[in-house]
Amino acid sequence: MIFKVSALCCPKINSYLPGILKQSLKVFLICAVTIFFLSNQTAFAQRDTTITLKVLGGLQFELPRFAVRPNTKVTVILDNHDDMAHNVVFTKPNSRLKVVDEALKLGDKGAKMDYVPNSPLILAHTKILEPGRTESISFLIENEGIYPYVCTYPGHGYVMYGAMYATTKALPPLEKDLNVPEGQRLGTPNMANHSGHHMAPASPHPYPLEYPLLYRTFMPDCGPAAIAVALNPNESYCFDAGKCYLRYAWSGGFVDNTDHWKGNGNKLAKIVGSVYWKDETGFPFKAGKNQKIPTVHFKGYHLTKRLPAFRYMLDEISVSETVKLSAKGNGIIREFTFKNNPDVLFFTTGNPAGIKFTFSAGKYKNGVLEIPAGTARLTITSTRI
Amino acid sequence: MTMKILKLLSVAFLLWQVPEAKALAPKDSAATYYEVENIPLPDGLIAETGAIGFMPDGRFVACFHRGEVMMYSPKTKKWKRFAEGLHDPLGVLVVNNHEILVMQRPELTRITDTDGDGEADDYQTVTDDFGLSGNYHEFAFGPIADKQGNLYISLNLASNGAGIRPEIRGKYDSLSRPGRMYSCVPYRGWVMKLGKDGKLKPFAVGFRSPNGLGFDAEGKLYVSDNQGDWLGTSKLFHVEEGKFYGHPAGLIWKEDFPRVVPISLPVAKLDSMRTKESIQFPHGYFANSPTQPVLDNTGGKFGPFSGQMLIGDMDHKYVIRLLMEEVDGAMQGACVPLSFGAKMRIGNNRLVFAPDGSLWVGQNDHGWAGARGIQRISWKGQTLLDVMAMNLTPKGFDLTFTLPVDKETALELANYKFRRFYYEYHQAYGSKQFDVQDVAVKSVVLSPDGKKVSLELAEMKPGYVYELKAGDITSENGNKSLINRLLCYSLNRLKK
Repeated sequence: MIFKVSALCCPKINSYLPGILKQSLKVFLICAVTIFFLSNQTAFAQRDTTITLKVLGGLQFELPRFAVRPNTKVTVILDNHDDMAHNVVFTKPNSRLKVVDEALKLGDKGAKMDYVPNSPLILAHTKILEPGRTESISFLIENEGIYPYVCTYPGHGYVMYGAMYATTKALPPLEKDLNVPEGQRLGTPNMANHSGHHMAPASPHPYPLEYPLLYRTFMPDCGPAAIAVALNPNESYCFDAGKCYLRYAWSGGFVDNTDHWKGNGNKLAKIVGSVYWKDETGFPFKAGKNQKIPTVHFKGYHLTKRLPAFRYMLDEISVSETVKLSAKGNGIIREFTFKNNPDVLFFTTGNPAGIKFTFSAGKYKNGVLEIPAGTARLTITSTRI
Repeated sequence: MTMKILKLLSVAFLLWQVPEAKALAPKDSAATYYEVENIPLPDGLIAETGAIGFMPDGRFVACFHRGEVMMYSPKTKKWKRFAEGLHDPLGVLVVNNHEILVMQRPELTRITDTDGDGEADDYQTVTDDFGLSGNYHEFAFGPIADKQGNLYISLNLASNGAGIRPEIRGKYDSLSRPGRMYSCVPYRGWVMKLGKDGKLKPFAVGFRSPNGLGFDAEGKLYVSDNQGDWLGTSKLFHVEEGKFYGHPAGLIWKEDFPRVVPISLPVAKLDSMRTKESIQFPHGYFANSPTQPVLDNTGGKFGPFSGQMLIGDMDHKYVIRLLMEEVDGAMQGACVPLSFGAKMRIGNNRLVFAPDGSLWVGQNDHGWAGARGIQRISWKGQTLLDVMAMNLTPKGFDLTFTLPVDKETALELANYKFRRFYYEYHQAYGSKQFDVQDVAVKSVVLSPDGKKVSLELAEMKPGYVYELKAGDITSENGNKSLINRLLCYSLNRLKK
């Protein structure tokens, strides 16, 4: 086997590519792989392929595997989008762990050598790339085989790898491909979000799920201090613990945190089901006759039989808010208590389509409830109509 | 005496005759002195461990990435849920048998079991008076309490590997957005102090990813930080109020700081403003991501190191022992691995001593290199041969051993290989080792009690890491070998 390896440094090649070109590169790749599946030929003329291997956060290559035909000159552009330095090393078949171990044994010499050992098992490699850098390497793959690629930076090699298939045959199903890291192999086990299935979601915790159920997590359309609550497996809402108000409610499930929990926690939780009400008017309370927007402070929550009652301050006024499901299940009841509210308060509901509001106290006019001074309790029921 | 010489001679003869004999002889190893036990985990737990502690009644408490707070009884070996639904909890401080403080992404929370059923029902926001841009890298760590009852937490910078959310918490300021890591909401890149009045105040600035706070025996605050931009290698800082520790992004929230892009300042200017670290952990071969410093307060139940500090690392199968001393008015010193044998895993994110003096370690990977799970390390009762202290002298270093050492091996100059180098303070990610040079040992003197060697070096230059690779030094009777042989001393200041 002959490997012609040429390396050249191309800072930010990828950033010069217009998005459409990147997209077409991807499409080309998918087409190329598809064509290989359809073909049964065994001998080919040499061809060229360029693969962009993007490094994502969480010690992973965006492509956990890819396929080329045997007898291909492969150009790999390593594009480091992560916070850390990485390289990529292509090895002979079944040699990834050996190379990773050899790299570790370099010890304090490793950094100077880009953590690449002098090993006959290595086909080609990049330098260590700082975050934001790219480098391109080319090499010839003649024979069929599964060629691992791996980052040999200390500590990364056991997690951050993938497989280049030189083949004309179909690849094994991804979920059964042991050449791919477990996380990428098993993908996103989107347990709760199979439309049409109403199975109880499996618990992602060391205990069965019980309702009501609460998560502090990153939610869409909410500040970063968000709280998602499921009143039961089908009815849920999102409370903003930074701005201290109810943001939206949905039906059909709770949240899927799978992506959010993966790795560094960058991704948002996914809403399972559909949002039927969203606050479009912003923070609802105004204080006093001159309708001042109060300063809010979140104070926490108390669980009673798992149901949370949120506590917050509107200036000097202590508020608690409990969100419950209405008896018929077609709406939610917001129970407020107020302490130290010697002045009138105003609560804006707006006029959202498909929702009817009823109130236990106060005067309601043009989408605004006037709450008399000293009111200790208030219930706002919003019913889906 | 004659018997001893004869014995030695016969061993030497054997070694000379059979070269393999040396390799076959049972070698002194870390596993002789420490036992590593895997704590069984409940089914369904993804044990990315963010925080660990012990309740006064002896229960072990652990917080995990998916928001669970679990209690483990070492007696019954049973796990029980205490709290749930937290957002990436990365620190815990035990208050009493019913109450803990937990640092999660958005806030510091007091979590209490008010009705005594063993599960928390009240989650009180202790402080959320800091910004959140929604950037994933804005992790929050701590709290730890000083003797007066003030709490300290630390706040990560954001990473330009990802953006910020459309809605944020706190005042937005784009001034430090240029650069790899940025602080666009208050007080990212700071260590914060929560006084008893409940007010959270900025305490010290210049941190990047300060994943660990701890006090030493005298109540000095130490904070670790991770190699990256402005950190040539990972570091441990002795943190004092009002000081700047090197990463410029957080400076924009300093009251008297001018309205300039911090990284646009000359490096020399920033360098002159900063307080240097006490310890540098050479990147890669020594440590990649140091974690939580803890004080060995076991009074000797964990071996001979009582009163010293240990710190974990994400990528190495050992913890690191910190040999600190005050030189010319500042803390500096050496780091040395403390190995426990092959059973130890990597990913040692959180450390705590149990009431019985065993060390419990919570492991994490969190999308980076590491491992998952919890291990318990206990000392078997025999003293290992190790370097107890590494003290700077005007001409070199004094090494104090835990046991009297064998005169012959201890006086062998070749058993002390020194080199020195420095890491550059600059904006780029990490630093190579600059000006690497071997440093000759000119003389070695052994103290009359056999426990201290005084080394005179050819050159002592401040601003360098002095790395010592010790050779096969044995104990006085020859049956124990030095196991942990790599010591890295951060020589910021010379001994006057």
